[in-house]
Amino acid sequence: MSSRRSSSRRSSRPRNPQDELSYQRQRVELLAEVTLKIRQSLQLKEILRTTVTEVQRILQADRVLIYQVLPNGTGRPISEAVRPEYPAILGMEFPEEVFPADYQNLYAQGRVREIADVHDPASGLADCLVEFVAQFEVKAKLIVPILETANAQPIASQRVPQNQLWGLLIAHQCDRPRQWADFELELMQQLADQISIALAQAELLGRLEEMVEARTAELQEANRNLTQEINDRMQAEAALRQSEEQLRLITNGLPVLISYVDHRQHYQFNNQAYEEWLGQSPAEIHGHHLRDVWGEVGYGGMQPYVRAALSGEVATYENEIQSREGRLRSIKVTYIPHLDKNHKVKGFFSLISDISDRKAIERMKDEFISVVSHELRTPLTSLHSALKILATGRLGTLSDDGQQMLEIADDNTERLVRLVNNVLDLQRIESGDVTMAKQACNVAELMTQAIEAMQPMAQQHGITLRTKPVNTQIWADADYMLQALTNLLSNAIKFSLSGGEVWLTVESRLQLDRSDIGSKTEPSLPPPKGKKRTRKTQHSDHPEEVLFQVRDQGQGIPAAKLESIFERFQQVDSSDSRKKGGTGLGLTICRKIIAQHEGRIWAESQFGQGSTFFFAIPAFKG
Amino acid sequence: MTTKCVLIIDDEETIQTVVKFGIHMKAGWEVLTASSGPTGIQTAQTANPDVILLDVMMPEMDGIATFKALQSHPQTEQIPVIFLTAKAQTAEKRQFNDLGVSGVITKPFNSLDLPEQIAKILHWQVDL
Repeated sequence: MSSRRSSSRRSSRPRNPQDELSYQRQRVELLAEVTLKIRQSLQLKEILRTTVTEVQRILQADRVLIYQVLPNGTGRPISEAVRPEYPAILGMEFPEEVFPADYQNLYAQGRVREIADVHDPASGLADCLVEFVAQFEVKAKLIVPILETANAQPIASQRVPQNQLWGLLIAHQCDRPRQWADFELELMQQLADQISIALAQAELLGRLEEMVEARTAELQEANRNLTQEINDRMQAEAALRQSEEQLRLITNGLPVLISYVDHRQHYQFNNQAYEEWLGQSPAEIHGHHLRDVWGEVGYGGMQPYVRAALSGEVATYENEIQSREGRLRSIKVTYIPHLDKNHKVKGFFSLISDISDRKAIERMKDEFISVVSHELRTPLTSLHSALKILATGRLGTLSDDGQQMLEIADDNTERLVRLVNNVLDLQRIESGDVTMAKQACNVAELMTQAIEAMQPMAQQHGITLRTKPVNTQIWADADYMLQALTNLLSNAIKFSLSGGEVWLTVESRLQLDRSDIGSKTEPSLPPPKGKKRTRKTQHSDHPEEVLFQVRDQGQGIPAAKLESIFERFQQVDSSDSRKKGGTGLGLTICRKIIAQHEGRIWAESQFGQGSTFFFAIPAFKG
Repeated sequence: MTTKCVLIIDDEETIQTVVKFGIHMKAGWEVLTASSGPTGIQTAQTANPDVILLDVMMPEMDGIATFKALQSHPQTEQIPVIFLTAKAQTAEKRQFNDLGVSGVITKPFNSLDLPEQIAKILHWQVDL
């Protein structure tokens, strides 16, 4: 009770100016103290509690509360400092009637209420309200509005109307009526303003926190995405590295030079074999131009094929290179173009294999065949001549059986001579030892020579040779052309019945597609070295070719055999070589000769009605 | 019949024999034989044959060396030489012709045909 009395003393206005000044100072100090406490916290609840506690302490009021006006018109005390002997009203819901909208508007415009005695009719309180406050033992009260001001809304996003009423700061005196001093009113107003600022700050803080939270969430999301992307990339890179590593492991184990060259002709990948072969490690070669690695001369040799690969063609060639030990290696090179999705050439893969061993074996084989064939020729000469001399009968007369045996020996010696000659011919052409001495040859002369050469054999078999020489020219080696023609004529004669005819004809024409001639089979010809085989049509503007035909009326060739007869030792009937004295190599030699002339050879036949052999050679356009 | 004298230089005795028999039987020409380059040169110098049939592949002194030696002797340089060779390739024939030999006969041959082949190469007007 003593404190209430003292409050009564302190609340009375000082009489003299000295006291007035002292109170003023005290008031400013108190305000500063409260303001400081309010500002020290950004927690609104804390601020409100501090406010009511301090106001109650300063004013020595029985109850100080902060009443928040809710949007639906009702309200609720949300902070309260009350003497223990009076009922607490914190948290109570007040109906709208207690604080109607027009009252709210008045407060929103800045009205304050100081009521010294609620029971005094001059206070202007409605009876129902007097009754209402009586339950809380209110005798006097002081009410100031807490506004949400424009200044308190620094964030423009959710703009609220200016000076909207947020709540009220209320002081109650319960033990007696009380005349409120001006400074007390001012203090309340100033604190209400501070609360307004605090509200604004709290809201600002809330919004800032929301923004920070939102931004943090965004950043975390971005961070997660980034982390994911980094992980993905790392995985992709790891996969690529692993794949490259595997490729390197595999290719390093191969005895072949494997590389990838980009479109600028720079190496982008080399296997370990480069170091073993050339003494240059993949790391040293990487990124270097082909010229840097192979030198000017080496690069010059590969340049046409590199160009071909970079224009999208597969290029293959053979060459020789010097290894790090200084020995020559025969190599086979293949360039495979690397095309992107749009079929643009990005580079090419290069595969280089060492074919030195194969070449050496081929050379040995060729030498062996050559030596054997040569060595066979000398004893064959003796045998052949001796038999011919015996056959003259001038060294003594043989019985009929003896004569027959002699003829068998003689025939087979001749066959052996042909076989040796054919084997040697084939070996020479295949080994590439033969260079065709091509020149302009008169076709009519070739035809006449071939017919003349085969006339004795034709007569022997009772065959008539027919020809109609054509005066045109081809670009060919005359000796080999003659060999091809006589081989074909010899076959035609051998496989014709006595009394039959064999035709050798020639026509000069545009290069044709095979379908134009109606042939059914053409043995595949290996394309001439360094050139791609191309098909030309009748409508194209390409040079003419000369088509040779050797036609017979013999037994014919079954369709299934039309191709295989050009393979070595492949005859229609395996007994043919014995019966007809052939070697089984004639057509193979023909095919090789024609291929060397960039020509084509094939056969057509109707079984039982004879066969026709065709070959086409480019015409000479002098 | 015009009688000719042929010298055959070949290390293979059977070749010497069949050549001798064939030529003699067919044309009745005289055939001298030698088994090596040096003996052949000696025989050529003393007997002065109308033609020398010279085997290209012989041990020690081969046909080409023998031919060059024959060309370098005034006594033998005028004697026509025909190579006997197992190497039938066109390019090799050309190479031999470039050396200045009169002709090339390829093995295997029939020795009975030799007089005709020789006469053709050397443009001899003989009745065989």
